[in-house]
Amino acid sequence: MTDLPLTAAPAATRRSLNPTLARYLSAFRTPRGVVGLTILVVMVLAALLAPVLFPGGYDQQGATTFAGPSAGHLFGTDEFGRDIFVRSVYGLRVDLSLILSAVPLSMAIGTLLGLSGAISGWLGAGVQRLLDVIIGFPGLILGVCLVAVLGAGWFALFLTILIGGLPSAGRLARGAWLSQQDREYVLAARVLGVSRRQLLVRHVLPNAMDAIVVNGAVWMVVGVYIEAGLSIVGLGVQPPTPSLGVLLNNGLRFVVQSPTYIIGPASLLLLLAVGVSLMSDALNEAVNRR
Amino acid sequence: MTPTTNSPLTEPPEAATDRAVPLLRVEGLSTEFRLTSGDVKAVDDVTFDIYPGDVLGIVGESGSGKSVTARSIMRMLRPPGQVVAGTVQFEGEDLLALPEREMRRRRGSKVAMVFQDPQAALNPVMRVGDQIVEAMTVHGVDKKTARARAAELLDQVGIPDVPTKIDQYPHQFSGGMRQRVVIAIALANDPALLIADEPTTALDVTIQAQILRLLARLRTELGIAVAIITHDMGVVAELCTDVVVMYSGRTVEKGTVEQIFKHPRHPYTAALLDAMPRLDDDLTGRPLPAIPGTPPDPAALPPGCAFEPRCPFAEDACTHAPPQLLEIGDSGQTAACFAAQRGVEVTSVRPELTTSVPPRPAPPTDEPVLEIHDLRVDVGSRRRGLFHREPPVYAVDSVSLSVSAGRTVGLVGESGCGKSTLSRAVVGINPIIGGTVRVDGADVSAMREEDLKRVRSSVQYVFQDPYASLNPRRTIRQSLTEALGIRGVGGPELEAEARSLMEQVGLRPEHLDRYPHAFSGGQRQRIGIARALARRPRTLVLDEPVSALDMSVQAQIINLLQRLQNELGLGYLFIAHDLSVVRHLSDTVAVMYLGRIVEYGDVADVYGNPQHPYTAALLSSSPVANVSAPERERVVLRGELPSPANPPSGCRFRTRCPVGPLTHPERTICAERDPQLTVTAAGQRAACHFAGGD
Repeated sequence: MTDLPLTAAPAATRRSLNPTLARYLSAFRTPRGVVGLTILVVMVLAALLAPVLFPGGYDQQGATTFAGPSAGHLFGTDEFGRDIFVRSVYGLRVDLSLILSAVPLSMAIGTLLGLSGAISGWLGAGVQRLLDVIIGFPGLILGVCLVAVLGAGWFALFLTILIGGLPSAGRLARGAWLSQQDREYVLAARVLGVSRRQLLVRHVLPNAMDAIVVNGAVWMVVGVYIEAGLSIVGLGVQPPTPSLGVLLNNGLRFVVQSPTYIIGPASLLLLLAVGVSLMSDALNEAVNRR
Repeated sequence: MTPTTNSPLTEPPEAATDRAVPLLRVEGLSTEFRLTSGDVKAVDDVTFDIYPGDVLGIVGESGSGKSVTARSIMRMLRPPGQVVAGTVQFEGEDLLALPEREMRRRRGSKVAMVFQDPQAALNPVMRVGDQIVEAMTVHGVDKKTARARAAELLDQVGIPDVPTKIDQYPHQFSGGMRQRVVIAIALANDPALLIADEPTTALDVTIQAQILRLLARLRTELGIAVAIITHDMGVVAELCTDVVVMYSGRTVEKGTVEQIFKHPRHPYTAALLDAMPRLDDDLTGRPLPAIPGTPPDPAALPPGCAFEPRCPFAEDACTHAPPQLLEIGDSGQTAACFAAQRGVEVTSVRPELTTSVPPRPAPPTDEPVLEIHDLRVDVGSRRRGLFHREPPVYAVDSVSLSVSAGRTVGLVGESGCGKSTLSRAVVGINPIIGGTVRVDGADVSAMREEDLKRVRSSVQYVFQDPYASLNPRRTIRQSLTEALGIRGVGGPELEAEARSLMEQVGLRPEHLDRYPHAFSGGQRQRIGIARALARRPRTLVLDEPVSALDMSVQAQIINLLQRLQNELGLGYLFIAHDLSVVRHLSDTVAVMYLGRIVEYGDVADVYGNPQHPYTAALLSSSPVANVSAPERERVVLRGELPSPANPPSGCRFRTRCPVGPLTHPERTICAERDPQLTVTAAGQRAACHFAGGD
């Protein structure tokens, strides 16, 4: 109970593989990880291959408008007779490109900002106050402000998601740094003479990583919602380019005439969120396994 | 029963116990933990009786099932724990068969429990008086009566100034006082039996002596039977009348305290008693007869006797079925050992006393490797705010020490006396405010970049908690490689060096790629030592390196440290609160009180003839695992360590001193002048105006 017997210890991982990396990869051996990864891979592939799968593009208009779901039009058609499924898959390109670029960048910058306290106490405290200011702006308000400056479009969304994610990563990294600082193994490394940079990289960061990776996955979901939210009010990606948010925005307008319009894009959004959530859960579980 | 008047700590009153009807009879108690990975037998067929007025000691190491036994009796097991067999007869009725409602009525009123951590046992947002009152009102006492009784109880357990204290919150009490409150709560409903689970483990030795004295007093004054669960053989010898020794969930031996300590019948008990360093140690410099190996994993017990793999008397029969607990001779003492039951004398003679052991090699030179002079460490200004600075708190105030190559300086004192602060300041973790630190003759007090480099290549640190001092995410290889890399070892040598370090500390090099969680506490401490050795230091600062370990493993680590010192000529600064371990390992000993060294000298001098009253009190407070020891004069210190933020004027010890102004009001000098460390008649140095006197 207290101590595992030596015989029950997990077999040492293959030497060639970095043990930390192996730990993260073990997430994909759990059912949750597999399902999450599959959902995400399918969605990314579909988005990447959209021009090949649907060479007609997202603007091809058909005869019937507001058609319900059928074999030909999986999600039905919109007010111009365009296939909503095709538009949704093209829309995924926008969302995936946003969250897959903005969120990792945001987490990386946020982590660095959070660890800035290791350089000097004043810098660390100052950065935290700066992050507090960002927290003061809810995601959508921040987006509206950025749109006012930059104009609506992909880049404004990208920046909104990036900046919005900084405080959580910064806080987590700083928290990890503060709590790790007094751990005996960090003290032990200091006494050995490990440099400050190595201390952060080897002992503090790996312990902050878990929380930050999971936070990143959560922030991806939030990113999709920010895109959708801004697009619903018309400040996101501009029509005719589809995004999940734009489609939801349009669908909302016709929700009385054609209730099925909104179901397709909404369920894709949900699926994306579920995929990312499952992944983050699996990662969380994998890194916290002892 | 009749309360006895003589000291209960040394003389268990035989006549006081009524041997006719047991108060509690535990029979065949078995408890399992139903885990997904399989059932784990935590308690296996445990049987014992407690008679009114008895103090039963249940001793064992972590994982031996002693706490689970207590919880099973109280029916306080949480799932997946489950009692699978046995009965618990209390005053004639089976507690295990009672409906939960009935059990709740008895819990706390008939049988009460005291837990290890008084901090966790008290509700921090409730006044202590209300907590005692609550204990009574749930059993139907009206509030007014309960309140009066609460005051009475607090007085009984030795809380001063009850009218004020009764309305205070737990945080306003010190650790020892909190434990008294917990005991008061347990006593609230006049229980017939008090079960105390490691009641003094979290406390300092002088406070422990106070609590043990209190428990003994309760027994003689109130006639309460006490079952005390502990890992400390010393506590058992001091307090108990009867002993149950547990190992891996089973009772291995049972008898009166005299029987167990004078003639242990089970090899485990015998080996354990032998492996413990003693206050009257005559083995300084020689290895302790350590028990090899580690306690078995409760989830994978051997089919036969659980102690068989570590037992010098093991035979073929031991591997097949566990031996029954049978009476040895007609003494009433029982042991679960085939050899003992056949009449083999398992009491091991300390082999190294009969065989000649080569004298300890003299250190190559008497060269000081670590010198501390007038060191002051401030721990207050760390908590500085934006616009204000806290006043300085000198946790270490003008301390001087010198560690020579191949020699050990023991540093003893209660928690809060500054010994860890001192050791951390030496390696540059805590900032130094004043004084000098010299490493290998070079002054490093400034702790600049190059000073730190020098310190770290020469002085290494072994931490107390082997679970916290290894990064759980890094394999042993990674941890050792990191240290070796800083020394400049690289390439193909790295592997060889890492393997040789593992061998040096008695671990298998094949285990390099395992994570810390795959190792037991003792093995982890070996890894911690290996990591420190990787930098080839000349001095090791050992911060309580064995106090977190199981008692059967402590001796192994002590022997390892001694062997390494002899082989490598290391200087040790050995910090501990366990006086007997310090005695065994040290050449010189420094006794620290509230940031100051109060006595300093050769270990035999200090232990043999302590000159400072604090040293004398520490020595007499330490429980001794020997029932036939000549009765010692006991100095039980009153009160607790004052805060270093506001030390008493003059002599810092005067507020607790048994020879100072407390007992001799005419000794005003103690409050006026700060005593300096001066050489006393006995040889060692002591900081006391009345050194050696009373």
